[in-house]
Amino acid sequence: MRHIPFALAGLTLALGAVPAIGWAQNPDAATPAEVVTKVREAVQYLNAKGLAGFADFNNNKDARWVWKDSYVFVYSCRDDVMIAHPLRPDLVGRPILQMRDDKDRPVFQELCKAGARKDGGWAEYWWPKPGEAKASRKISYAHGAAVSFKSDIQVGAGIYDDTLTPAELDKIAEEAARLQKAAP
Amino acid sequence: MAESKLANPAVVGLAGFGLTTLVLQFHNVGWMSSIGPVVWLGLIFGGLAQFIAGLQEQKTGNTFGYCAFTSYGAFWIALALMLIANKYDLFKASTEDVGWFLVAWTLFTTILWVGSLRIHGAMALTFTLLLAGFILLDLAHFGFPALTVAAGYTLMACALVAWYMMARIILNELYGRELLPAGRPWLS
Repeated sequence: MRHIPFALAGLTLALGAVPAIGWAQNPDAATPAEVVTKVREAVQYLNAKGLAGFADFNNNKDARWVWKDSYVFVYSCRDDVMIAHPLRPDLVGRPILQMRDDKDRPVFQELCKAGARKDGGWAEYWWPKPGEAKASRKISYAHGAAVSFKSDIQVGAGIYDDTLTPAELDKIAEEAARLQKAAP
Repeated sequence: MAESKLANPAVVGLAGFGLTTLVLQFHNVGWMSSIGPVVWLGLIFGGLAQFIAGLQEQKTGNTFGYCAFTSYGAFWIALALMLIANKYDLFKASTEDVGWFLVAWTLFTTILWVGSLRIHGAMALTFTLLLAGFILLDLAHFGFPALTVAAGYTLMACALVAWYMMARIILNELYGRELLPAGRPWLS
């Protein structure tokens, strides 16, 4: 009987490792670099299109903002509201700051802090994959967007991953931003 | 033949200017999430009605009112059409483009602000707040988006002082006395 907790712990670890291996091999999983590129593309899109651009992010058929197992969402921390979410229309227009994940972390308070950084940042939380009920470890990249007549807009997108560390993620974001800046 | 009395068109100009400005600020400070009401008010009340009031001011011989009401009426129509056009990718204006639009209106407002200082205290206060609001909105469009909120409260105050001037014209006439004073000009 003494071995049961150890066996359970071992099983949990083994199960936890499966998605990590899956990510490395699964071509249908979004990569951190894609997430950074998409978020920055969305920031530029909103900057150019203004308030009228928000609605475009609520359309889950638009492959531009929904790809593989990831998607771009738009929110305002100051106004405490989800502005656009392609897969969860029930969240649009609802307050966000009180939302907590399975580990009781204030998801959007973390995202708001990350997105407030000059070049954006990463936040870790537990969120269900599209079509699943059970929460998985999600790492999201958030970045502020300048939009006319809106004091505070942030754009985010994430990947489901169990292994990447904050330092590794920061490096990926830096690299993706550098490549984007170098592009004509 | 008795001379028929003409109503003062400024009341409609001030009403449209104040109300539309106020509703945009409800959006700017985050109370009202949609810009929708601003678009429609901008076309009809802040735009069309204020523009017509401005044209009527011309006949009263009020050059300042003629210029201010027709111009800010046109401002609202242009802003509303710009917001609608962006939706349909028609001559799109980015955040910076809207910023430059606002910078031009700030320069224009500076000229009227200098004039307002010689009219009366309420007018000087309205234009000082309007100019401050425009400058804050300019900054909000060029790297300081959080100032949209400060601009919002400044322009709410501007709209309310504009309504004070409207109330003055209406109530002083109805009560037959100086119920609401205009205040001395800041420059004489």
